This record gives sequence, C-alpha cells and structure tokens, in this order.
Amino acid sequence: MTLRADVIDPGAGDGDAAIELVGLRKVYRKGKQTTVAVDGLDLRVERGEVFGLLGPNGAGKTTTIEICEGLTVPDSGRVRILGSQWRTGVDDAIRARIGVCLQETKFHEKATVRETLQLFRSFFATGRSLDEVLDLVSLREKADARQSTLSGGQRQRLAVATALVGTPELLFLDEPTTGLDPQSRRQLWDVVRAFQDRSGTVVLTTHYMDEAQQLCDRVGIVDKGKVIALGTPDELIRSLDAEHFVEVDFAKEANGSLDAAPFAALPDVAAVAREGSHVVLTVRSVHTALPAMLAMASAQNLPIAGLATRHATLEDVFVHLTGRHLRDEGKP
Amino acid sequence: MRARVVLEVARTTFREFWRSPEAVFWTYGFPVLMAVVLGFAFQPGALPPVPVAVVAGEGTGPVVASLRQEARLQVEAMSAAEADHALARGRVALLLRLDAGEPVLRTDPTRQEAELARLLVERTLRGSSSGSDATLRAEVEDRPGARYIDFLIPGLVGLNLLGAGMWGVGFNLVQMRTQHLLRRLAVTPMRRAEFLFGYLLGRFVLVVPESVAIASFGVLVWGVPCRGSVLAALLLATVGGFAFAGLGCLLASRTRTIEGIAGLMNLFQLPMWLLGGSFFDVDRLTGVMRWASEAMPLTHVNRALRDVMLEPGTLADVAMPLGILAGFAAVCFALAMRLFRWQ
Repeated sequence: MTLRADVIDPGAGDGDAAIELVGLRKVYRKGKQTTVAVDGLDLRVERGEVFGLLGPNGAGKTTTIEICEGLTVPDSGRVRILGSQWRTGVDDAIRARIGVCLQETKFHEKATVRETLQLFRSFFATGRSLDEVLDLVSLREKADARQSTLSGGQRQRLAVATALVGTPELLFLDEPTTGLDPQSRRQLWDVVRAFQDRSGTVVLTTHYMDEAQQLCDRVGIVDKGKVIALGTPDELIRSLDAEHFVEVDFAKEANGSLDAAPFAALPDVAAVAREGSHVVLTVRSVHTALPAMLAMASAQNLPIAGLATRHATLEDVFVHLTGRHLRDEGKP
Repeated sequence: MRARVVLEVARTTFREFWRSPEAVFWTYGFPVLMAVVLGFAFQPGALPPVPVAVVAGEGTGPVVASLRQEARLQVEAMSAAEADHALARGRVALLLRLDAGEPVLRTDPTRQEAELARLLVERTLRGSSSGSDATLRAEVEDRPGARYIDFLIPGLVGLNLLGAGMWGVGFNLVQMRTQHLLRRLAVTPMRRAEFLFGYLLGRFVLVVPESVAIASFGVLVWGVPCRGSVLAALLLATVGGFAFAGLGCLLASRTRTIEGIAGLMNLFQLPMWLLGGSFFDVDRLTGVMRWASEAMPLTHVNRALRDVMLEPGTLADVAMPLGILAGFAAVCFALAMRLFRWQ
C-alpha cells in the first residue's frame, strides 16, 4: 500500500533536489485565533543553488524554513531534505548534513568566538578546522574575543560560522543581514558566495529585495503562506509587462493644469500613476517613451522640476503581484 | 552518548558560569558567607558582657569598683550627658547615677539586655553592701553536637544544595531558551541526553565541593562534629543536589520567560526554606505542616545529613533518604525530558 501510494503520489520526489516541499500547510492556533502561516506551499530547491525566499514579515518565510530545519512540524504536506524526511529515525543524520543560522540567536555571552565554534564543532563527526571556519567568515582576529564584545555584523558572521563547522551540504540562513550595516551585509554575502563555490546549497529568507537580486540564483516570492512567483531575479523582473520606470516631478504651479492621463497613450508606456505633482510612467523602453513624454510635457507647457529613470526591482514584482509593498507590513 | 560532546557542553556551561563573577558569588560565595554570619550569630559560648554606664561624680568610685567585680558587666564611667547619649543610642543597656548617695538605675525597657543588666547590677550592689547574698549556681549547655550551630550547619548545606540545584540549573535553561540558543542547539546533531548530562556536569562540578566547604567551615571553626560516614555525607550532597537539579529542570522544561521561572522557583523554594528543617526541627510540626514538610526533598536531605554529622550514621542508616531522593530526582528528570521544549 505504501509503495502504491508513493507511485501515484504526484508530488513524490526523486530525491535529487536539496529540498522538496509539497502541499505544505501550517496553522497556528492561539485561543480562538487561528493564523495560517503556510498555506499549501510547494517548492523545489536544486542542489548547488542559492535560493531566496522573499516576502514581507508574516508571509510564512520563517515558518517554511523552520519546517525545513525540522524545528517545526507541519500540519500536512511532504518535506524532503537532501532526499530524507524528518521524524523517520534519521533526524540526526539530516542535522549532520545541514547548517542553520536562525534569527536572533544569542550564544554564550562569556564564551569567545573560538570556544563557541569549538562547542558546535564537537556536535559533528566530521567538519572543518576552527581556523578554516574563522577564515571563511573573516573572524580570525576576533577568535579570542568574547561574544559580548562583538559588533552586530561580527555576531551574525559567528552565527553563520556555527552553521559551517560541520561541512554542511545545505545552509539555511533566516534573515541573515537584518539590522546590519551595508558593509557587514556585503561581508556576509561574500561568505554565502564562497560557500556556494564549494558546491553548497543555500536557502535564505530576506525582505531586502537587493539582497535577493544580487545574491540569489533563484527567488521564490512568498505571500500569505504561498509561493506566488518563482524564477531567477531577471526572469521575475522581465515577467513584468514593462520593466522600467520614468518618475517625473512637475513644478508645483503646474499642479492645477496637470492631467496625467494622456501620457498613457505615448509609445511604450504601459501604465501611469500620479500622486500630486509626482507622476510615474511604467515603460517598456526608456529611449522611446522618455522623448515622447518630454515632448508632450513641453507641448502642454508643463514645467519639469525633476526627472529620474530606474530599472524595475523585485519590489516592483511584488507590488505588481499583490498591490502592496514588501516593507509595508509587520514591524514599523 | 558521545563523551566528547558531553564534555564540550559541560566545559561551555561551566565557563559561562565561572566567567560571571556575580553569579559565582551568589551561588557559592553567598551561602558560605551566610554560614559564617549565622554561625557567628549563634556561636557557642558565653554571652558578651552587658555594657553599663555610671555617671561620674562624688562617691561613684566605690560603686564603679564593685560593679567591675562582676565579669558579666562592662562598666564605663562617663559624664551625665555622655551617659544619656549612650543609653539613647543603645550603646549601654543601663545608666546608673547617685542621687544623694542613693543609686538610681535607668534602663530602656524595649532592650532585651536591660533586664539582665538591672538584675546583675542590683545583685552586685546588694552583694557588696551586705556580703551575704549566696551566688547562684548555673549550668550552660555547651557540648558540641547539642548546640544550635551544630543543628544549623547541616541545614545550611541543605539550603545550599537547594539553591545551587534549582537556580543554577533551572534559571539558565530558561535564559538559553529566551535567547534562542536552545533552538539553535536543537538543529545540530547534538542529542538531548548529551546536552542534559553535559549541562548538569558543568553546573554541578562545584556543588559538592561547596557543600564540603560549608561543612568543613563548621567543623573547623565551631567544632561541629562529623561522627558518621563521610562517604554517606558526600553521597547525600550529590544525590540531594541532583534531586534539586531535577526539580529545577522540570520547572524550566517549558517556562518561556525569566520572570516566569523566577516566580516558579520562589513558589517551590520558599516553603522549603520555611518547612524544610534547615532552621528548626520539623519533627515538632504537626498535621498538614508536618505532612508538607515530609513531602519536601530538603527535609530528607537535612535529616540525613544530621544523621551522618551529629550522630554516627552509616551509609546503611541513610539508605532510605538516599533512595527517596534518588527516586525524586529520577521522576523529575524523566518528566522534564518528556515535557522539555527547545523553543
């Protein structure tokens, strides 16, 4: 029976993928209030890729990643991590092959960087030398500094280092750069890229679109517990009808006579949005739309106070799909 | 279970504790300090002499001289103003002045020493004038083993085990949970038993030596006896400590906040402080109080420790309480393992 069920199960995995999630669902109940954190999520992450789960706070990214890590038990759905399933008697074997960096972990305050790594290294039968890991995350000069004296970026790199001591095949990073300064973020990105170069697989969550765009081979946009878009950052951006924006600030005195609607008829303009004297044109190609827009503004005698063009980002993809901004929700 | 992992967890745990001077003080320094302070407060021997002031003036010389015959009085001659001040501040228990050659005694009746001072002064003065008062024969109980200090030291060892076991083990577990460290450990191939044993080893390595330190202090400084089996005493400290550690683990197994665990600890500790037999003999309790007292592990630790220190108790004599404590520890740890949440 089990065999047969496996054969007819359309979601049955081949075991080749780093992660396979099929019909994942998780509901949190608190009193009479129920929150659907993950709502029938399907996902496949290939070996060797850096995969990003992008979405606003509360979209279900962390719940999904914690189900993958074996920390949270889903209500229903199938999970395969490196070809194995949790709670089938191989949990420690899976744990030996993954590295995890949770959100907001505080290690022993009085322990030095090296001592913390030594503790985590002891859990794994095979793994890297402490010096190698220290070099990987550029913490060699801080090896003998206690946790309490580290900066935010250094702490975060230590957290990643504890995930790397056991030579994992699969690395989970839950919002690894939240709250870090730009330099610390770039340092962490370098660590992730170096890990991938050694044929590692990375799954990370983020609500920074630039992080997803620069670091990830593929991105899954998550909203309300589902993956609503999946692909390389370029594919996702190209999926927009138009992927450039022309933002125009007309002079305030033109406000009364300003009518943005005619701009929509210009060549290669896909959409027009207006907010006071600020007008945003969504265009397919800047080099045709922009001269046409300037000509029309001049003909209508609308003085321009400012002009900018930009390429679409994953944020625009999210806005296009949901009508909301990534950073609107959750924490203020 | 891998010894390497257990030792590494133990080392980390111990280091974290050892590098927090304030934690070391409150866990290990404070109980010793308390033993010293309480020990001196209840130390065996005669009471110190009672301070008495005599207002210096005409004719007070012989009075001072005769009062100084009494060893239990500490007599000081001073001016009227000084004497008034000394009495008001409680520096002397009695003020004596001569009014037309007649002694007048003034005391503060709210001071316990006052009555003693009055009696001593009256008797001394009467004795010296008539020379006929017979001295009373008095006996004091001062044999080692029968004094309050002898009763107290094993009780303080018990209290130390209670504190170190419950706070040392339970509190830090909850702290590690609140800072998500337990979750982080849970996603490694470290096993639950490895963590628990290593953690207990790290927290416990000082508990027995400290019990030995408190007991030795009593033995060396106040001559508290240790008449029974030393091995049994060490075993009692270890097993007793584990019983309290088990209780601490159990209380911490699901508690999510520091405030929560502090409240739970106090809820379980306070009754034991009161009824666990550290400060007075619980065998005098009756009814519900006695029943509650018998249900407390501290009561069994204290009673058994007194059996092996104050009496020539052997390992066999304390086998029963050892069994009770081991059973208590086993039940607590088993429940804690079942209920334990990493997050």
